[in-house]
Amino acid sequence: MTSTAMASSAQNTKKLDGLTLRYLVLIGLIVIASVGFSFANENFYSLTNIGILLRSIAVLFLLSMGMTFVMLTGGIDLSVGSNVAFSGGVGVIALTTTGSAFIGFAAAIFAGMAIGAVNGFFIGRLKLSAFMVTLATFALARGLALVIYDADSINVSNQTFLWLGGVSWGNMPVVIPFVALVFIALSVVLYKTTFGRDVYAAGSNFATAFVLGRRPEKTLVWVYVLSGALAGLSAIITVGRVSSGQPWAGLYLEFDAITAVILGGTSLFGGRGMLLGTILGVLLYGIIINGLVLTGTNPYLQSLIKGMILLGVVLLDTYTQRGKTA
Amino acid sequence: MPDLGRLLREKNIIFVTLALCLLFFLISPRFMSVENMSAISRQIVPIGLIALGQFFVVVSGNIDLSMGMGSVLFAILLGVCFGLTGGVAVGIVAVIVASLALGFLNGVLVAKLKLPAFIVTLSMLFMAQGLSGLIIPRGQQIFLMGGFFRFVGSEKFMGFYWSFLFLVVLFVLAYIVYNHTRWGSYVVAIGNSEENAKLAGINVDRVKIGIFMFSGLCSGFAGIMLSTRMGFVQPGLDGNGLLLDGIAAIIIGGTLILGGRGTIGGAFWGLLFIGVINNALNLLNVEDVWHQVFKGAVILAALGANWVLWQSRQAEAH
Amino acid sequence: MKLSKTLAATTALVSAFAASAALADDALDIVFINDGHVAPYHVAWLSGFEDAIAAYDEAFDDVKVTGRWLSAEGSLEKMIQQAEVTINEKPDIMFVNAINVDAFEPLVAKAQAEGITWIAVHSPMDSADYSFTLGDVVNGTNQGMAMCALSDGEPYKVGIMLGQAGNPSGEARREGILKGISTCDNVEVVAEQPADWDTVKAQSIAENWLTQFPDLDAISGVTDGYMYPSIAIAANSGRDDLHFYGYDGDIPIMQQMEGGNVKADILLSGTREGWNFVQMAYRIHKGETPDKVYDFFTPLVLSEENHKIALENGFPEDVQVYYVDQALEVAQNGYLEFGPDSVK
Repeated sequence: MTSTAMASSAQNTKKLDGLTLRYLVLIGLIVIASVGFSFANENFYSLTNIGILLRSIAVLFLLSMGMTFVMLTGGIDLSVGSNVAFSGGVGVIALTTTGSAFIGFAAAIFAGMAIGAVNGFFIGRLKLSAFMVTLATFALARGLALVIYDADSINVSNQTFLWLGGVSWGNMPVVIPFVALVFIALSVVLYKTTFGRDVYAAGSNFATAFVLGRRPEKTLVWVYVLSGALAGLSAIITVGRVSSGQPWAGLYLEFDAITAVILGGTSLFGGRGMLLGTILGVLLYGIIINGLVLTGTNPYLQSLIKGMILLGVVLLDTYTQRGKTA
Repeated sequence: MPDLGRLLREKNIIFVTLALCLLFFLISPRFMSVENMSAISRQIVPIGLIALGQFFVVVSGNIDLSMGMGSVLFAILLGVCFGLTGGVAVGIVAVIVASLALGFLNGVLVAKLKLPAFIVTLSMLFMAQGLSGLIIPRGQQIFLMGGFFRFVGSEKFMGFYWSFLFLVVLFVLAYIVYNHTRWGSYVVAIGNSEENAKLAGINVDRVKIGIFMFSGLCSGFAGIMLSTRMGFVQPGLDGNGLLLDGIAAIIIGGTLILGGRGTIGGAFWGLLFIGVINNALNLLNVEDVWHQVFKGAVILAALGANWVLWQSRQAEAH
Repeated sequence: MKLSKTLAATTALVSAFAASAALADDALDIVFINDGHVAPYHVAWLSGFEDAIAAYDEAFDDVKVTGRWLSAEGSLEKMIQQAEVTINEKPDIMFVNAINVDAFEPLVAKAQAEGITWIAVHSPMDSADYSFTLGDVVNGTNQGMAMCALSDGEPYKVGIMLGQAGNPSGEARREGILKGISTCDNVEVVAEQPADWDTVKAQSIAENWLTQFPDLDAISGVTDGYMYPSIAIAANSGRDDLHFYGYDGDIPIMQQMEGGNVKADILLSGTREGWNFVQMAYRIHKGETPDKVYDFFTPLVLSEENHKIALENGFPEDVQVYYVDQALEVAQNGYLEFGPDSVK
């Protein structure tokens, strides 16, 4: 009975409903997860905890938005986590040598973009496998971070540099409105510019995009540079959060970002997905992680539960929208 | 002419690996010693098994992230069974059954329920990680002693470790299946276009489940090899490192990560490449902070060299 | 200046708060945040910690003792989040084995403002209420000097397996080992490689060293986790003359010392340390004030025979040494030292 109802409604508004419904389901899951965790621990809904949750996923928001662009082109960027450490190192060293926070900001973002440019060059220009190239820069950027830091952290006391990642208005970390601004800016880029259309086109079909004169090679280079720039920005936030530059910052964040993007409905094969989905995906993933910390169960049991929740989420999500996206 | 491109890709990695070997040999003459070569041959066995299982999964356009942690789980399962029964037979049977079951579960979730392989196998990665600590009493080590572990782990036949020979035999069998059976061509067809494969009358779901069962089995074998080589098991083995090395091996060997293309020979050379780099880090005594730079730079350089070779060959071909 | 004033104020506040909390509901909630949970040493820690929590809760009717153990799985960001969440939960005492102490400075103040006692584990922190340390440099030096004393003045080639680049415990242990080795001329470090606390990597390194240096005399490591695979590979390669110098005091490694090739170890013992955490927390809860930097007692372990040889070869007499039997007894029954009876 429901299936016929679903089928008929699918026919009416077939074009939009796939994604909209997906997002509704994601929101539903976010609500279910939070209610579930709030039963397990009454502190879950406290404003402080929500502040902690948002602050802890701020960086994941940024990296995942970059990852969305990359994955829309059918690529992947495994280097972003290491890049957070590397660009943070460059930024902090620029800051401590010049004493200027703005030179530090610029250095961090340029360093992030530089790693992105290496990725973009090998992937876009030389048409090599994104997985392989970014796996190499994943090691390379982490290694460079260890080298420039000499494997030790550097303390930062410049309040301007620490402001973005460190300060909160009440329970609201200032970084969250900033993330919202980045979201709006990137949405404009993705939906309102030719570059955005090129991103979708490159992912849908590389060869066709080329024939249409959209120059997917150039698009790819810029997509990875963007992802690198967001890693640089994330590095600034991370430094602010811990008042120091850290050579092991950002470890495994790329996998969290990829997971969140896929939860948000973006295809690994490119061409399909939206930034809003990514935001919801990050939120859901962040809530799961935060909730598991709050329950404080045995770490092995936590791994098991995390796996089951992840599988459950994707199962439910795929099932509720089945027949809508096809 | 698609075979030409394939062949060229395959040959490039041979050149690059051999050039790298020559370079390391010039820096440290011990690199080419028989002892070192046989050390490398044994170290690549678990990575190679993961690469082989992953190869079919990737060519079919999927990915199996559970293979690394899966092999850790199966190594521990073998250890737990050994601890309970004092023998290996039960343990081996248990590992084979469990690894096939894991693969079957992955396959059904991906093929029948149409869930993204990345998330399905990532969930399995976490679950395997959790289980690996939960099934071993208080997470302590279990020591594995006896003829079987010594035989598989360290006995040689005509100068080659048995474990390495086992890997080579599996690669040869996989080569035959991939290149000379219908099943092999189905895998490629699915990787190229699932829709077309369906239209051509291929039972896509069944083939996919088969692929994941094979990758599961390979991680089971990798677990057995890990435990025999180590002589003990414990939960803290770096399964994800094995997974990434395995994936790197097949992609360096010319397998397309998006599916539809790849060769078994290329995967094998990619595996040797990874084994050589890991070994060289120790042999050249690279300082700890430079390890990652070295690894990343060598892979990037290899990719670049591969590209240059490919371009020049293509220019010749035209 | 200003910082120390704030600290003094917060410490006073902390003790006042802790005392009132104890009277109010008489509960002791302990949270341990660690950088990982899968290395053999972590596993031993966790089991000691959990057993001790249960034992203390059982032994004392007037205090409800509870505890949780969180693992950051190597991720700094995750550890920060866990610390933030934990502070919001307001336990009585937090033990934090920080991936990097600098990153946690802002959180220590936050925790203290909430009345939580912060105990830095292994890497000391000035701002923390207490630091629970191992004396890694001293232990490493003892290990290095043992190599000097047990090598009989002959040329002695050693490979050292390190932790992950930048890991504070690993770096301190390395520094100590090199310092100890530098006290004599015949011991030569031929290779130093990071095994990232991973046994599979450690085994490959050991195997590669044995082919590269056929005349290698000893493998030294910053954790006993490296010793298991190294011993296995040496046995496989027929190198039954290779010596091993461990760190951690794992029972199976120390069992191979009497007449075997494991020449020295450092007795930490994870279970024992886990028990000591809970004992320390209980003592603080009861109003005692341990030393601000609390040094966990970690003697060098040698066989009696080797200790004699070492002393003859000029090994300092004032280094505290446990013989194997005594060390095994402590590692197996470490909880007796730190169990509820020790504070009754």
